Amino acid sequence: MAEEKTRVDFNAPKSIVERADNVAELLDISRTRLLIDALQDELDELVNEEGFRNRLRDAYYDERIDFQTVKSVLGQEEAMRMKLLRASIDREPPEPQLKAELPSDEEFYDGEVPVWRSDSEEPADNEDAESTA
Amino acid sequence: MDDRPISVVDTNVLLNLATPVVDGRPAAPTGADPLKALLSSYDVHVPASVVGELSTATGSGDLLSAAADLVLNASHHLTTHDVDAKIDDPLDYGLDQGESDGIWLANDLDAPLFITDEFNSTNYLFVSLALDDRNTLFTTPHVLCKLASQAILPIEYVDAAFSYYADSKQWDEQYLNQLRHKYLRD
Repeated sequence: MAEEKTRVDFNAPKSIVERADNVAELLDISRTRLLIDALQDELDELVNEEGFRNRLRDAYYDERIDFQTVKSVLGQEEAMRMKLLRASIDREPPEPQLKAELPSDEEFYDGEVPVWRSDSEEPADNEDAESTA
Repeated sequence: MDDRPISVVDTNVLLNLATPVVDGRPAAPTGADPLKALLSSYDVHVPASVVGELSTATGSGDLLSAAADLVLNASHHLTTHDVDAKIDDPLDYGLDQGESDGIWLANDLDAPLFITDEFNSTNYLFVSLALDDRNTLFTTPHVLCKLASQAILPIEYVDAAFSYYADSKQWDEQYLNQLRHKYLRD
């Protein structure tokens, strides 16, 4: 089904229009086709860019843009996800109930609390050095 | 009588809460224990598949494995349910076993709180759809904020934990900032 079209007029630097016309002629497509394709590519690229998505989320959570705008740019599913998530912020989780202080590790855990350290952040481990020497 | 609200959680929630506790690197927040805070102030229920998934995660010597060890050390604070025997058909929303079982359990228990960390992806939509009452759906960071607002966790700790999760889990930072403003800054 052909989508409804809307007319757009705009001024652009002469040189870029000339370049576009040359390319369109080479590709044997209309200038309009070339512009639409270029615009489509640019939008697809932006939508997948994390920085752009972050700005869009910020704007939506801050209520600077509406659901329809998010939907038109990011698609139905992502827009619905953000809508539900935004609505959830105003809800309160059930009240946690804690009678006294939190228990100590010894009381609470059955065994030691493990501590994990990245090997790469430890001071130079000389075992490796010895084995390669 | 236990008057703590019933909460159903999936494997990732428990692992994510345990991760900053066992992470000995300087970037990890220190001075509090979000896993202990949750398990002490809510009556936490899980499907048996969650314990299975935790056991599978142990033994590899990495951060995830240490987090799984910690959760297993606290597993006597969890109430587990064998839901496999009761489910006729698995929930067909493309969710994994632990999540599907957890949602089923939350519906069965009429739990006022189901916690998920699946809020970065469209899985969040599926979890919302699958829960009988989607108003019971909350995320780990939202519950951490609640624990901070009740002085069960220090506000500074939760704030630092958000930065830690945003870096290590790529959680939706804009969403975290909204929660920060509502619970941690006002």
